[in-house]
Amino acid sequence: MKSEKLKGNLDMLLLAVLAAGPGHGYSIITRLRDRSSGAFDLPEGTVYPALHRLETGGLLDSGWDVVAGRRRRLYRLTPAGERHLAREATEWRAFSGSVSLVLGN
Amino acid sequence: MTDQAPAPDAGEPIEDYLDRLLLSLSGPPRSVRHTLAEIEAHLHDAAADELAAGRSQEEAERIAVARIGAVHEVSGRSPLFSRPSAAFVRRTAMAGSLIGGVALIAYAVSAAISWALAAIGGGEFVTAPFPPGTYTATDCAHWLAGDPSTRSCVAAMTRDHVGDIILQGIAAGLLGVLALLAFGVMRQRWQDRGTLIALPVGSAEAVGAILAVVIAAISARDAFHLATVERGLGAGQPIAIAIAALCAAAFFGLRLYRGARTTGGFARA
Repeated sequence: MKSEKLKGNLDMLLLAVLAAGPGHGYSIITRLRDRSSGAFDLPEGTVYPALHRLETGGLLDSGWDVVAGRRRRLYRLTPAGERHLAREATEWRAFSGSVSLVLGN
Repeated sequence: MTDQAPAPDAGEPIEDYLDRLLLSLSGPPRSVRHTLAEIEAHLHDAAADELAAGRSQEEAERIAVARIGAVHEVSGRSPLFSRPSAAFVRRTAMAGSLIGGVALIAYAVSAAISWALAAIGGGEFVTAPFPPGTYTATDCAHWLAGDPSTRSCVAAMTRDHVGDIILQGIAAGLLGVLALLAFGVMRQRWQDRGTLIALPVGSAEAVGAILAVVIAAISARDAFHLATVERGLGAGQPIAIAIAALCAAAFFGLRLYRGARTTGGFARA
């Protein structure tokens, strides 16, 4: 899938992945790839500016955890993040439904 | 050292990536440290997956680095707006002093060649005399005063010009030696990994070689023009410059070759 289309929706997708449970960067990108059956396969490093931006915006918070002897930053959804995700998901479903109607699907 | 050695180890892709990332990150130190720790953990997790799939350690690290993407994608800053890091400035200074030092010494060498050509072919062969009407009797008197052995204004003029070339060559040679000494000092002081990989290995040599070849080509063209159209008047200096530039190009080429043999190929950017 063209990365430009993905970038415009990356925030919502990351929030959706974290809605299923906290995760660190690598596990988030892996879960995103797996849940999309490989359709969303962007350069892995691009999630970090997005994660940091979401945390700055109060939609995520993070803490450090030691896993297998290495420090990892674990991100989790905040209540504000949950509400934001719910709004974005509703808007997306309405948008994609309208697009499908126009395309005749 | 060369501008190239000691080169980064060819087998540490993750370490090299983290070094480049550190140089590109800006912001509060804690934020920089945290980002670095995050990316390091990410890379090692990705490499571990590749290792589990049967790849070698180095191959696994290379794949992990390729998958995470360019440094500016992780830092979130466009490379156009990234301010140069201190390591990049240091590396550029080293490269500049190497290229500049060699260039100045090459000019000194060309001056020596010009002097030899003047001795063989006369001053007019090295530097064409000014066209008649462009200099005055006072100018002639000045030139003749500097060369009592001749009564010819043109001969005295060209001998004066050759003298200027030699003086410029001496000055350039001294400056070139200073520049190369500065390069040696910087090389000794700045052997940290960050400085060494701030520019691609061999980049200074490559730039120097290209510039030298271009200068040699332009000078050769000028010499050919002067030899064919101007009956050889003034062809000597461009010939001297072309020869010296080719020597400089060979010098840089040899350093590139040695560097390639040492590192097993040019380091990745």
